[in-house]
Parts: sequence; C-alpha cells; structure tokens
Amino acid sequence: MKRIFDAQLIGPFAAMLIVATIVALTTDRFLNPGNLSNLSLQVSIVALIAIGSTIVIFAAGIDLSSGSMVALLTMILAQMLKFMGIPLTLALPLILLVGGLLGLFLGLITAYGRIPSFITTLAALIAFRGLALTFNNGSPIFSIDPMLEPVFYGKLAGIPLPLFYLIIFYLCATIMMNFTRLGREIYAVGGNPAAAKLTGIDVKKVQTKTFIIAGFMTAVGAVLMSARLNSGSPNYGQTLELQAIAAAVVGGASLAGGRGNILATLMGAMTIVIVQNGLNLNAAPSSVQNIVLGLIILLAVGIDMWRAEISELLSGILRRRSHEERH
Amino acid sequence: MRKIEPLWEFVDVSKAFPGVLANDKVSIKLFGGSIHGLLGENGCGKSTLIKTLSGVQQPDSGTIFKNGKATHVTDPQDARNKGIATVFQEFSIVPTLSVGENMFLGHMPVKRSGLIDWKKVQLDAAAILKEMDVDLPTEAITDRLSVGEQQLVEIAKAIAIDAKTIILDEPTAALGQEEIETLHQLLRRMRDKGRAILYVSHRLDEVERIVNEVTILRGGKVVRASGETQINVRQIVSAMVGEKVTEQYPKEFNASPKVVLEAKNISTRHGVKNISFNLCEGEVLGLGGVLGSGRTEIARALFGVDELTGGEISLNQKPVSIRNEIEAIEAGLALVPENRKFDGLFFNFRASGNITASSLGSLSRLGFLNLNEEERGTSKLIKDLEISALAESKTVDFLSGGNQQKIVIARWLFSDAEILILDEPTQGIDIGAKLAVYRLINMLTKAGKSVILISSDHDELLAMSDRIAVVRHGRVVKLAAANELTRDDLVRASALSNKHNETEALV
Repeated sequence: MKRIFDAQLIGPFAAMLIVATIVALTTDRFLNPGNLSNLSLQVSIVALIAIGSTIVIFAAGIDLSSGSMVALLTMILAQMLKFMGIPLTLALPLILLVGGLLGLFLGLITAYGRIPSFITTLAALIAFRGLALTFNNGSPIFSIDPMLEPVFYGKLAGIPLPLFYLIIFYLCATIMMNFTRLGREIYAVGGNPAAAKLTGIDVKKVQTKTFIIAGFMTAVGAVLMSARLNSGSPNYGQTLELQAIAAAVVGGASLAGGRGNILATLMGAMTIVIVQNGLNLNAAPSSVQNIVLGLIILLAVGIDMWRAEISELLSGILRRRSHEERH
Repeated sequence: MRKIEPLWEFVDVSKAFPGVLANDKVSIKLFGGSIHGLLGENGCGKSTLIKTLSGVQQPDSGTIFKNGKATHVTDPQDARNKGIATVFQEFSIVPTLSVGENMFLGHMPVKRSGLIDWKKVQLDAAAILKEMDVDLPTEAITDRLSVGEQQLVEIAKAIAIDAKTIILDEPTAALGQEEIETLHQLLRRMRDKGRAILYVSHRLDEVERIVNEVTILRGGKVVRASGETQINVRQIVSAMVGEKVTEQYPKEFNASPKVVLEAKNISTRHGVKNISFNLCEGEVLGLGGVLGSGRTEIARALFGVDELTGGEISLNQKPVSIRNEIEAIEAGLALVPENRKFDGLFFNFRASGNITASSLGSLSRLGFLNLNEEERGTSKLIKDLEISALAESKTVDFLSGGNQQKIVIARWLFSDAEILILDEPTQGIDIGAKLAVYRLINMLTKAGKSVILISSDHDELLAMSDRIAVVRHGRVVKLAAANELTRDDLVRASALSNKHNETEALV
C-alpha cells in the first residue's frame, strides 16, 4: 500500500482539492449531485486515454497520436456497426484490437526504426486524421447502434458506468506499474535506457509495449466517445492528446521519463476537468478555457522544475518563524 | 613565513543542506604561484567548497577575502569576473564548436560592426595555446579531440578569461598516463607564472607529485592543512579515512586451475584484434593498457555488445555464441561499466530497484514481482556491503560515488553472475570505498566467481590481479602473473602508445 500511495500523490491530490475548493466557492452549482455525476462522465475519456499517454511518458517517450487515433477508431467502429453489420459484442473487442495494433505499429517504428516518438506520433497525429476522413466520404456517421449508448450512459447500482471503467483500468494500471515485471522495466527504460540495456532489459520491446498499451487505451476512449454521441466523426478528439499529456504532467510525471505515479494522472485529469467545469459554470468563453489549460500545463511543469527552490523557500520561511518564536 | 598575502582566503565558511552540514567553519588560503591540493573522501564537503568558491552557491556564514578584502562571489559570472575559473569533472565545452570558439564563448571579440572578429578569435586562441605550450589546432572541432585534449581546452578557456585562480575537480579521472604527465607539466608552468591552482583529486600518487600544500576535509571540517612541508601519502590516507590504514590493497588469491572462460583469437570491428586469453575460477584477470587501447572493447566483445568478426568464446569448455547483453547475462556474465552514471545506475530507483534490475526475470512469477523477496535480498546486500542505510529509502542520486559503485556491483551479486567484468570500478571513489570494492572482489573470488578487472590505476591493477594481460592497439602484448610484472612494464606499455594509435584502435 505504501508503495502506491507515496509522496508523489500528495501534490496532485492537494492541487485537485484546491482547484475544487476555488471552483466551489465561485459557484454553488459545482457541488450539485447532477454536476458531479456529469464531471465523472467528462473526465472518463481523457483520464482513460491518459493512462496510455502516461505509461509512454514513463518510458521516456511521448504519444501525440491519441486524439487523431480516437477519430479514426470512432469511424472504423461506426463503419463496422452501421455498414458492415458486425454485432456490437464482436465490434468492441475488434476495435480494441485495432487500437492495440496501431499502437504496436507506432511502437515498432519508434523503437526498431530508431525514430524519436515525438516525430513518429506527430506524423501519426496528422496521418490518422487523414485516414479517418477516408471513411464515409469524410462525413460523420450518426445513429450507429442503439445498443452503443448504454456503454457510456448506463448505470450500475445508480453509479455511472464510466466511473467503473476508471476504477477498473486505473486499478490494473496501478498494479502493472507497481507490482509487475513490465512496470518495473518501463520505469527502468525511462530512467536510464543505457543502463537498462546493460542489465539485460530488452529496451526496444519494452518501449513497443508502452505504445501497444497507449493504442489500446485510446481505443477504450474511442469506444466511449462513440457511445456518448452514438456516432463516429473524423473531427472527434481534437487536442485530446494534449489534454491527456497535460493530465500526466499535472499529475507529476517527469517528461524525461522514469518518474511518476499512474494514479496521480487521474488526479491530474480531474484537476483539468474541474477547471474546465468551473469555467463552464461561470460562463467563460472557450477561448479562455484554452488559455487556462495552457497556463495549467506551464504551472505544472514549472512546479516540477522549481521544486528545489520552492522547498528551500518554504524551509526558509519555517526556519525564520521558529527563530522568531524563540525570541 | 610567507610574505605575500593570499589571493583568496576563506575564513570559517559554513554551508548546510537539509540534513547535512556540508562545510563546517572551513578555512583555506590560496596563494598565487602555488598548487593547493584539496583532499577528502566522497561526501566530505570538497564539492561544496568548490561550488562556493565558484559562485554556484552562497555560504551560510563565514567570510571570503580576495587580496585581503572581504567580498562575495554572487554567481558563476561574478566568479569569472573576479578571476576564478573552474574546470568541473563534467566538461562545459560545446562539442560541436571549435577549440577557438569554445575558448572565447561568451566573450567573443567583435568588430565595430557588431559581427564576430573571427581572425582575432583564431589569433588570440593560438597565442594562448602557444603560451600553454599546447599543440592543438584552433579550428579543430572539440568533439573529435581525445578526453585529455578536451581537458586542455577547458584550461585554455580559463586562461582566455585571464583567470588568476583555477580550480580543477578530479582533472585526471579520465586521462591516460601520458595525458596526465602533459597536464601536470602545464599546471606547473601556470603555477610558475603566478597563478593559484586548487587541485582536487583522489589519486594520491599524483597529489604527492604535484601539489605544494594540502588541505584535507573530513565530515565537512578541515582536519589537516599543511604548508610547504613534506607531503606524505600514508599520513594523508589516515587523515582522510580517520583511522590508521595498514593495507591499501587487501589482495586474496582464490584462483583454481579450472578454466571458466576462454577467448580464442577473437576480433571485432571495434578494435579487438586476434586476442586470446583464458580466465580461471576464482581468478582476477587484470587488463592493463592506456585509455583507448582496446580494454573496454574486449569487455564489449565478451558481453555481446560488439559482434565477433573472428574467433571463439567458450564458457566452461563449451563454445557459446553471445549476440547481445541479454544472452550474455543468461550465460552468467556481468558487466560493471566504466561510467556508472551514464551506463550503470537508475537514478529514479532506490537501491532495491537498482540491485534487482538484472534479476527481474527470476524475481517474478507470471509477470508479478516478488516484492518481499526483493526487499529481503536487497536489504541483506545493503548490510553486507556496508552501503549507506539511506539507500533503502532514498533514490540513489542522494548517495556518494562509493555507495553507488557498491550498488552497481551488488546488482550482479543478487543475480548470481559467474563472471564479472569490472571496468574501472574504483574511478572517482574515495579510499575507504576503494578498500570496500577490493574486499568485494575478494568476496567474489572466494565464492568461486571470476573477475576481469580493467583499471588505469597501475598500482591497483598490479596488487589486485592474479594475472595481467597488457593490451595495446587492440592486441594482448603481454600476459603474465601480476607478481612478475612491475609498474614499469605497464607504464612502458602506455608510453609506447600515442594519440594516433589510440584513434586507430578506436576505429
């Protein structure tokens, strides 16, 4: 237990609480049960995709492709359900498989083709969006399957299903990162790839696996996205990859790799969504929302970079206070 | 008594970090025309002192005097303006720029038009190199130079800003014998021109040869400062460690006649040429020779990093084909790389993660790690090897070099490797930690494990090896029992090599 709930969680958790408190003070609609349940729906897609983005970051990579991949996968899913007559029970596992395969493809190019993941996934960000447009003449596909909506809007014991997905996937990710060989190898590869190689860790394979996980989680997000609007669209998921990366960074994951806590990414995602929700409730225009998101990312990275200075400042204040008390 | 006043004087300078008093009322004087040795074990506060003097940090208390007047060194730029240049262990030259550009980086001479006066850069750079009596082309890209030459460029940078005080942090850590000589001659010339030099080193034999006065730190305090008196290595050692050191090299002989590894006529594309040797159970085989002679490349060939282009490697009389690190480790080999920072340690892990990194397979079942076993095994090793207890709770970047090196070796104890290749295992660690590494080698050989020891420290190599293979230009030129060889034999092997041959060996 101590292993999971370590110090790395305190900061992101505190940040989330502070942000929530501020938003709650500006509008009494925030703590409304309807709004809170709506929040869990809003956070689910980005938080699920962020699991993959964070794990790629742990291995010192970056995945910029997830937003476009969501668009592509919603189109493929819609195509399968509406035009190809594939039943939902088969289409869902198939789309998760396709997500994993796309991730495998990106991972192979990155690890074995020795192309930096920033470039591989930037290329995919552009190409996947284009690929999404080749379906249905580039038009969105609406009303795909009435059975799809409950996947997102369904409830179990009065609790929205997306909340269950969050719990299940974050539980699995936490177990993987903290208790399995693969998790340890991911941290090792991110911490020092040269040392990892000399200790017999198959660095390329591990890197590739992180991209498979990211592709799979993106597919999970895409299914929820399709279900939410019962449609597929080549325009879905714009800037979703950046929100997912922001969630990881706000959660304290080091972009240099090797350091971070997967549960903290959930806090990061919630922080971002709470801010957006607060701005919405206070009727802020979307332009402001984007600016605020940008500032949050800067602040999160800044806190990471200035950690030493901040702690020195704090200890200085404490020292002075105890000094004054003595006199 | 000395008549001149010191260029720089520290009086009762203290500096604390959370949890440690790194410098405790340290006083030190630096005189022009003198080389001042600063010694002490890792974590004794040497780096803190250097950083204070070069303006990287501010002291908590105490006074710094320059030419007798109290002053502050507010930041590194201020230090440069006040005539202090520091050559840190990690070089600060820009590898893609030329020698001349590096020397004048940050203060390039400009023409009236505001453009850089390249002609003046070349002329001034050449003049400085000539003054230093160093033969380096000013237009050479520093990337292409040897480590020793890069070091000379660092010193040239110091002279280019007309630094009267030069601080050198472990200047010889990565240099070969010949390069060390060149460096020392240069330092003596600079001393004779009135500069003050603060020389930080672990290599006591050097200190004895080059410094005029010595300050020794232990636990953040000055434990000994000697003026221009005789400097005695044995006294220094006991002052540093704080106890009487009876034996610098506690060698045990544990070799049995059973051959565990045999290399027959092996060659690689990276400078190993038709090399043959064998290694017995419990034996320490030393590989001697200068930097770039092919010693490290032999290690890489054995470990499957470089592909064999000829010859054969046998383990326990069976020919093996090792194509990568993973297969090497499976075959029972282990490599403790020369550069533990870049190739050895995971700074994001505590000791446990570092120690078990090569054993994750045997430590897990169905993909799940046995964390209890990991904790048990690593805390036993931490205790057995006397690694700082801090290592259990903190990531390894908080540990001293000696502790870090022990952790890298502990990794292979945990994985139960049979043959360990130790590449410069005592580089940059203090005497106490060196002794611990030597004892560790004894422990390994006693348990029937075999060691290939690569070292540039001739005394260490002679004392700790059973046999030594002298490597030159990728070939074994001599293979003999360590007690049949002398320091001279090794030095001669080094001396015969020159830069041209080194680069050839590296191609």
